[in-house]
Amino acid sequence: MNMNTKTIVTSIMLLFSATQIFAQSKYTISGTVSEKKNGETVIGASVYVKDNRSASVITHAYGFYSITLPEGKYQLIFTMVGYQNDTIEISLKANLQLNRPLTEKPKELSEVIIKSKKANDNLLKPQIGVEKLNVASIAKLPVIFGEKDILKTAQLLPGIKSAGEGNSGFFVRGGAADQNLILLDEAPVYNASHLLGFFSTFNSDALKDVTIIKGNSPAQYGGRLSSVMDVKMKDGNNKNFNVTGGIGLISSRVSVESPFAKEKGSFIVSGRRTYADLFLKLSEDNKENSMYFYDLNAKINYRINNKNRIFISGYLGRDVLALGKSFGVEWGNKTATVRWNSVINPKLFSNTSFIYSDYNYKMNFGTSSSETRMNSEIQDFNLKEELQFYLNSKNTLKLGFNSIRHKITPTRISGQNTSAPEKKGRLSLENAVFINNTWQATEKFTLDYGLRLSAYTILGGDTYNIYNNGVLMDSVVLASGKFGKTYLNVEPRIQFNYLLNEVSSIKGGYARNTQHLHLLSNSTSSSPTDQWIGDSYNIKPEISDQFSLGYSRNFRDNSYQTGVEIYYKTMKNQIDYKDGADINTVPDIESELLYGKGRAFGAEFLIKKLQGKLTGWIGYTLSKTERKINGINNNNWYNAKQDRTHDISVVGVYQLTPKWSISGVFVYGTGSAVTYPSGKYEVNGQTTFYYSERNGYRMPAYHRMDIGATYTKKKRNNRESSWNFSLYNVYGRENAYTISFADSETDPTKTVATQTSLFRWVPSVTYNFKF
Amino acid sequence: MHKIIFAGIVLMVLFTSCTKEIDINLNNASPQIVIEGHITNEAGPYSVKISKTVNFSEPNNYPPVSSASVVISDNTGIVDTLTETSPGLYKTSVLSGIPGRTYSLNVKVEGKNFNAISTLPQVVNLDSLAFELFTSSGNSAENSYLTLPVFTDPDSIGNAYQFIQTVNGKLDKTIFVLNDNTFNGLKNDQLLFNPDAEIKSGDTVSVEFRCIDQSTYAYFYTLSQINDGPFSITPTNPPNNITGSLALGIFTAHTVQKISQVVK
Repeated sequence: MNMNTKTIVTSIMLLFSATQIFAQSKYTISGTVSEKKNGETVIGASVYVKDNRSASVITHAYGFYSITLPEGKYQLIFTMVGYQNDTIEISLKANLQLNRPLTEKPKELSEVIIKSKKANDNLLKPQIGVEKLNVASIAKLPVIFGEKDILKTAQLLPGIKSAGEGNSGFFVRGGAADQNLILLDEAPVYNASHLLGFFSTFNSDALKDVTIIKGNSPAQYGGRLSSVMDVKMKDGNNKNFNVTGGIGLISSRVSVESPFAKEKGSFIVSGRRTYADLFLKLSEDNKENSMYFYDLNAKINYRINNKNRIFISGYLGRDVLALGKSFGVEWGNKTATVRWNSVINPKLFSNTSFIYSDYNYKMNFGTSSSETRMNSEIQDFNLKEELQFYLNSKNTLKLGFNSIRHKITPTRISGQNTSAPEKKGRLSLENAVFINNTWQATEKFTLDYGLRLSAYTILGGDTYNIYNNGVLMDSVVLASGKFGKTYLNVEPRIQFNYLLNEVSSIKGGYARNTQHLHLLSNSTSSSPTDQWIGDSYNIKPEISDQFSLGYSRNFRDNSYQTGVEIYYKTMKNQIDYKDGADINTVPDIESELLYGKGRAFGAEFLIKKLQGKLTGWIGYTLSKTERKINGINNNNWYNAKQDRTHDISVVGVYQLTPKWSISGVFVYGTGSAVTYPSGKYEVNGQTTFYYSERNGYRMPAYHRMDIGATYTKKKRNNRESSWNFSLYNVYGRENAYTISFADSETDPTKTVATQTSLFRWVPSVTYNFKF
Repeated sequence: MHKIIFAGIVLMVLFTSCTKEIDINLNNASPQIVIEGHITNEAGPYSVKISKTVNFSEPNNYPPVSSASVVISDNTGIVDTLTETSPGLYKTSVLSGIPGRTYSLNVKVEGKNFNAISTLPQVVNLDSLAFELFTSSGNSAENSYLTLPVFTDPDSIGNAYQFIQTVNGKLDKTIFVLNDNTFNGLKNDQLLFNPDAEIKSGDTVSVEFRCIDQSTYAYFYTLSQINDGPFSITPTNPPNNITGSLALGIFTAHTVQKISQVVK
């Protein structure tokens, strides 16, 4: 190590350990906060000392907390909205382990849609652009087909936009759908949609909560440009055996939870299946068509001792669509996570995870005598270590590493009548080390800063071509076992929170993110057959830099939270297909790609009402997203397909009586940027359209209102049940799904524009039970 | 192709959708030159049509472009200056389409110069048509079929094909093109996939089979990817083989073979 490096290392050490030295002896209180009723760990609960604001911590993703105080007597308070405050008097003379169960508040008081740990948590936490949704709290919102869906509810928050009806994916702050890191118990989910986006892969019955970070993520997250959607599964009730479920018009679900070793271990198994295809079979036209999906979540956890706990969770989901005799497609995700939580000492918490994730699709088409198959797959093995070090009452340090081995099988065609050599799967390593410190500098000022170093290495086993404008320039033959090119990226992250007074705060942040896996899509909607591709000798890591600034203010004793955030983001090394790209049969897809950049900026406004009979929020986003790709639109900037100028959502739940609640959702969004013809001509005797600018037009504005009502039966003998009634698209708005241009059917001498819309008035009813 | 299959599946299986004609205020664009020329292995004369684009809201009448200088030459030295037989339509007099020959088109009009090159591929024989059951219901008269063009691709890579299907005399507007990247030297098993074709037993199906060159393939492949469905590509002018000044359209040398068969 030379002098220079030493200095840097020393400075970093100093930077990350702004420790103060006390003469007085100090001790650490640590433990886990859980729910009294079922033993689920409580994430994001506040633990603080009465009359000492700066001595406060928040339970992390596994419900663990650690707080260090000088010797003495304290009143320690545990709070979480939706739960009764828990106060305990302690006399601190040695390190103390303190596990606390929290009791849920009676129903009427806890009807908040977004639960938060403290009523003014939005002001206190250092992170900017973070939203948290609790699954139990979204149960009363109206939903399409009666299926509550956390991913759909998240799309009602500002800055997070639905990609549209019948469209998988969502867009965060102008990012594309593949720029969201969707994690299910830490395992990346590569395609989070069922039935082309009408349902998400997340069965709400199996989930605990979801955190969405809109770009300014702490250093432990990485790999995607725009957002992190961190979905946590329930651990399983460790007090009682219970069954929950729901019966809907087109799908049903059931979950079983139970302890299996007293207070030590529990499990949950949850399954869901649609049966709309059974109705299809009844109609003559659709007899041979099929369309269904199922998914299965399972999780088991076991507390080895007070300091060590193991979690094993898995997910399996599959969609099947078939048309007639000769065409079929199916796709799905598989994930598995093994995690080991260990309290190494009262100040040091370790989480080690081994993660497997797989997404693939298969398609078959052909004739009665020969069948052609097409498939693609992405498979990950992932090892992650995260240490959380409670240095002192002012500093919490997180550090760790993440090492992923990707295997990506590009779209390949096989069958008897196939001559193309089978495309090889490509291997790569994605490694990262990170360090992040949360520094509560003063009672009012918190700084969260970190660094992530990511390295993506191409592994041998295939030949990599190098292209210049689609022309083959060179080839790199990488033998199996050899290391190819490595891309090394440094990603600094910093964010601050300054509490102006009791009711308002300012936050700001900067983050750089890099992305090494890219979803190639040439269509206006993303489809399950879009393929993933890793960095190569042509494809460089995508890089984004995001600056954001926010102001929050609470009113009426924190019962109203308001906030505004602005952001500016630049994106480098964006990828698109060239015009006329032959995406299916070309021997090397990389010859069909173009590269460019993107930029996005916007303002997000949010007003939430958290208490009282009426709860909900109003969100508004004003934004702009553009791209500039060499070889598209004459190399000029153009509106990205995810550009949406205005986006409004209004969400409300009103508790009418203890048994009845009603709810409503209204959304409005500027139409997506699309390309329409500017003229027409004739080729081969057919009308053909002339296009003069990319995405120069807008689809008609999208708006819709949904209403719902929930009837909850009184709890008897530990049995609970409820009826949920929803009406989707109350006023029957014909929202444009596609707009097409063609010769008129009635008068072939002219051309007409035709709009296709999907759903008007979709009623649904779901019966939910628990015993 | 798979996107289209996919779109077909989605639209047919999933949705009870409703459609309506709407008015959209589309920008006008200055008229662009459109050149379309065909050289085939059938007897000439061959023609080149030159016209201009019109705005979307106007009727489908494309103004012809007259008084152009249009010359086609082949790689054996034959030069043919085309004569305008009707406004905007130019015909050859001496040229013949021979497989293997490369044809060069030069157009001079309105002070602009356009060039295009296309090679007439070797003839591949379409043996017959077969009809594969697509959807069946209890009543066999209601069964619908898809057409399978039966032919064997030659050994060398680089062949491309276009199919123009007519059902009971009615043109199927779907653009069908195929290249041999995945079935070089093998029998074709790709159906002419149009879920709306509704080919029934007893129908007469005609297919015009063309062997085309790579630039013609790229042109029509791109057009085929722009469709009504949600999985259409972002619409774009297809890349063409016309160089010099910018023009829309294509100059294509291709073979022609027609087969007509009754679905049994």
